[in-house]
Amino acid sequence: MHGYFGAYGLVALLLVVGAVFVTVALTANRLLRPARPTPQKLLTYECGVDPVGGGWAQSYVRYYVFTFLYVVFAVDAVFLFPWATVFAAPGFGVATLVEMFVFLGFLAVGILYAWRKGVLSWA
Amino acid sequence: MLALQPPPQAPIDAPQIEYSAILPVLILLGAACIGVLVEAFVSKASRWAAQVTLSLLAILGAGLAFVLYVTDSPERGLTTLYRTIAVDRPALFLWGTLLALGLGALLLIADRTVERGGAFVAQAGIRPGTVQDRAQMASGGMQTEVFPLTLFALSGMMIFCAANDLLTMFIALEVLSLPLYLMCGLARRRRLISQESAVKYFLLGAFASAFFLYGLALLYGYAGSVKLADIANAAAGSAASDTLLFGGFGLLVVGLMFKASVGPFHAWTPDVYQGSPTPITAFMAACTKVAAFGGILRVLTVGFESTSWEWRGVLWVVAVASMVIGAVLGLTQTDIKRMLAYSSIAHAGFLLVGALALRPEGLSGTLFYLLTYGFTTLAAFGAVSLVRDSNGEATHLSQWAGLAKRSPVLAWVFAFLLLAMAGIPLTSGFIGKFVVFSAGIQDGMAPLVVIALVASAVAAFFYLRVIVLMFFSDPAPDGPTVTVPGTFTTAAITLGVLVTLVLGLVPAFALDWAGTGTFAF
Amino acid sequence: MSVLPVLLLAVPLIGCLAVLGMRRAAVLVGVLTTGITFAIAVAIAFAVDYTRPGTHLVTDAPWIPPLGIRFHLGVDGVSVPLVVLTALLCFLSMIYVARREGTPERPHSFVSLVLLTEVGMLGTFTALDLLLFFVFFEVVLVPMYALIAGWGGAGRGPAARQFILYTLLGSGVLLVGLLVIYGHTSTLDMVELAGRDGAGMSRAVQVIAFVLVAGGLAVKVPMWPLHTWLPDAHSEAPTVGSVLLAGVLLKMGTYGLVRIAVPVLPEGALAVAPFLGAFGVIGIVYAALACLAQRDLKRLIAFSSVGHMGFVLLGIATLTPAGMNAALFANIAHGLITGLLFFLAGGMAERFGSTDMDRIGGGTLAVTPRLSVLLIIAAVASFGLPGLAGFWGEMLAMLAAFDPAAGLNRPLYLVFMVVAGLGALLTAAYFLVMLRRVVQGTSPRRQGVLDVTPVEYLAWAPLVVLVFVVGLWPGLVLVPTVDAVRFYLGGL
Repeated sequence: MHGYFGAYGLVALLLVVGAVFVTVALTANRLLRPARPTPQKLLTYECGVDPVGGGWAQSYVRYYVFTFLYVVFAVDAVFLFPWATVFAAPGFGVATLVEMFVFLGFLAVGILYAWRKGVLSWA
Repeated sequence: MLALQPPPQAPIDAPQIEYSAILPVLILLGAACIGVLVEAFVSKASRWAAQVTLSLLAILGAGLAFVLYVTDSPERGLTTLYRTIAVDRPALFLWGTLLALGLGALLLIADRTVERGGAFVAQAGIRPGTVQDRAQMASGGMQTEVFPLTLFALSGMMIFCAANDLLTMFIALEVLSLPLYLMCGLARRRRLISQESAVKYFLLGAFASAFFLYGLALLYGYAGSVKLADIANAAAGSAASDTLLFGGFGLLVVGLMFKASVGPFHAWTPDVYQGSPTPITAFMAACTKVAAFGGILRVLTVGFESTSWEWRGVLWVVAVASMVIGAVLGLTQTDIKRMLAYSSIAHAGFLLVGALALRPEGLSGTLFYLLTYGFTTLAAFGAVSLVRDSNGEATHLSQWAGLAKRSPVLAWVFAFLLLAMAGIPLTSGFIGKFVVFSAGIQDGMAPLVVIALVASAVAAFFYLRVIVLMFFSDPAPDGPTVTVPGTFTTAAITLGVLVTLVLGLVPAFALDWAGTGTFAF
Repeated sequence: MSVLPVLLLAVPLIGCLAVLGMRRAAVLVGVLTTGITFAIAVAIAFAVDYTRPGTHLVTDAPWIPPLGIRFHLGVDGVSVPLVVLTALLCFLSMIYVARREGTPERPHSFVSLVLLTEVGMLGTFTALDLLLFFVFFEVVLVPMYALIAGWGGAGRGPAARQFILYTLLGSGVLLVGLLVIYGHTSTLDMVELAGRDGAGMSRAVQVIAFVLVAGGLAVKVPMWPLHTWLPDAHSEAPTVGSVLLAGVLLKMGTYGLVRIAVPVLPEGALAVAPFLGAFGVIGIVYAALACLAQRDLKRLIAFSSVGHMGFVLLGIATLTPAGMNAALFANIAHGLITGLLFFLAGGMAERFGSTDMDRIGGGTLAVTPRLSVLLIIAAVASFGLPGLAGFWGEMLAMLAAFDPAAGLNRPLYLVFMVVAGLGALLTAAYFLVMLRRVVQGTSPRRQGVLDVTPVEYLAWAPLVVLVFVVGLWPGLVLVPTVDAVRFYLGGL
């Protein structure tokens, strides 16, 4: 039983140590530092220049589109890697090759659609 | 170098694929992919015609393949693709129903005569409320992506009904849901509420799919396999803890009941039905219900019949909740699409009664009820889309007053469909309720049937209220008019009404079809 | 395979569909159709040999084989009088509607709905398959609702809604009962089930099924306390609607009891009959007291229906052949008399502007003597004056209660008999009070009020004549029913 829970205990201890470390450091900082806020000091940091505009900014949907496409191809890769190691071995006929190309074909149709709709251009 | 080469493999045996059995689904999927290519490469002007032709040919082709297969399909059914798809008699019945309903829904989606340019937005990327949005409302184009999306959803529904293991079922669930989430947001008018309904459906649907997946995982942990038959075997004689089994089952059921809009997992239904473009509402109300109950029947019968004693009580309560919620909350509705949504929740409760009767009569009764209910609902929503005023569809009940004077044909048709939903004899709804309730009584669920009949009587009230409103009230002077529908919508509504009438008078042949064969696993 | 019952149903159905396309000719076609139907009904009455056991003029074809539901029609002595009554009342209603001043708005819809109701009513009385009975039972609901909601009085909306919802609920309960019977015996054939005499169903199952079936039918009968839909529905319905409601629809409930509940579930009947009898006699007294308080003529007649059906229930509750015959007789008598009463009330409303007895003002004997005399005859027949039709129903029911079936509590039934007698006394009281208020006394000045017109005579005279004939020669109704009760309800 010591061995079974010992591992969990170690992980729990590590978590606690991590939390304690952060808490102690930040608390020490707050206790030790001077605190004399002025309006200029409380402004949002924006690369050293005066901030412009409100706090919220609109993000661009193209970031989302590219993330989306990335995820699709990442999962595609997850399927491709193991297939690539075995498909040429004897006993796996043409069927395995064709199957993977059918799978890639589906993805290709989607990419073609996205390309033609202008989604793949950055601007 | 040699060490890096993989060891020689034994020849794998390729899976046996009965192409003739799954050809309908393959045709739909193939056509959907071609539809995406059409979207990409065909010029905007000819896109609508190309897509409509392609989709209609696809469904008709799938129907032909289906008919050719079903005439000499094996009685016991077969499983294919490594036993992940079970093409048995119930699955074939549901496929036929889905193809017919899908055809009707496609006709409603393709219609451009009721509203100029169709019920779908011309450019979904335009923000609602802007000048461009007002321009698109009057234009003649539409987002024709709806057609391949419909075909994808339909093929997902077909696989969902025939899935023999939970993982395939989950994939099919996603394939059928994701296009629907998207299509809900594509209405031409009242875009904000349409987009709101799409977001609601998506978020709640994602949650429900997560429940399904988690339940699937727990069941895999219990049984060591995702196949329904293996889960049933494991439940019969396993030493593993029952908590995993019933925890998994509970979570799975939440996911399934959400899709079938069974109360109390119904909260998305009124908003989504109201906000979506009406052809999509028709598609959802008819086809999604059929597919979801196909899945429920298969899971309950094949996977969990051996443990039915433990979970029957809980599902009794769920069925009662659904019927009562649907009937009672339907009384307070003032929008006709919401009212029909609540009525679909009540009908889902009745269907669940049939699904809970784990016997052949229950199975055939539920299948028959799904067939009749699907066509009635399809035609009902088709009729709803015809009542319009200057702002688009007039769905508030007060605007339906006196409709019989403006358009007797529509009023009579809609009254007939409402009576069918209420279960008045000589309509298909009555026969459906009769078979389901007699199966329930034979299985010892008499209290449930009594509650169901009381809920039916309560629900009859709001159906009758609409009939009274149409026939016995005076129309408002600036009230809506009834558009004369074009060929597509007329065909869809006529199909629904004919099926409702015929199956009410001579249902014997459909009952025979529904009653042949049981599940294969 | 006899064609007469099918024809009986087909003719009104064809008429119903044909009339939809017509405008002014609709009413004439309606009169023609109901006339032909009445002729067929009379032909059926003469074609049946009542001394032979079993059902006659049978049509038996499969309808939905997977569920075992058959299109099984037939008649015997129990149903023939009701069939003739239904056809007669529909025919007379059509004649009444054919008067120039009596034609309703949208005549084609009106006539079509009445014909559809006729199909449902005749189907209910000739069906010999449980589900076919239920289908026809339900078919009546929607057209009757439409008649009340579309052509009724001031309060027609709520009255019609209450009518249909109450009866739908009752139908739902009835369906559960029929399904319980089907679930335990696997057959829906009434004749076969009656012959089995309850075999295959344990006592508990029979009691449950009887409570469900009788409960569902009780809404239609109507049995106190499930009668609250009736006064509103009857008083708000148009004249023809009230006549058909009171004259025929109420009979469907008691017919169901006699045809289905008692023969198929004998042990259930034995257990529950005292309750039926109790509710019946409570209904008689309750209705009588309610009538004494009424100011509106149609509501008074409506409540009187509750009272009369109480006598019918008492007769059924005795579970003896005498009681059954009494019930069946009282059915016919009530149909004739109350049908006539509602016709006359409608006539009064047309002439004096309202059915409120104060608004009518009294003294109608001086203004419209013939109409008033007819009202007197109808009222007097309704409270059971010997020599008129109503007497035999009440007397035979009380006589049957004096000697109920073995297994029933005799002292209880003697109490029922006494209470029913008191109820009969109160019935006489309220009718006489009504007559005094409406017919007698001095009348306020009135001008231009017509007495009974020739077409109205045509519509009402057959009922008056039958009230006398059936009262003086009860054998006209009893001869068919006695043999049929002996054969069909042999287990009693």
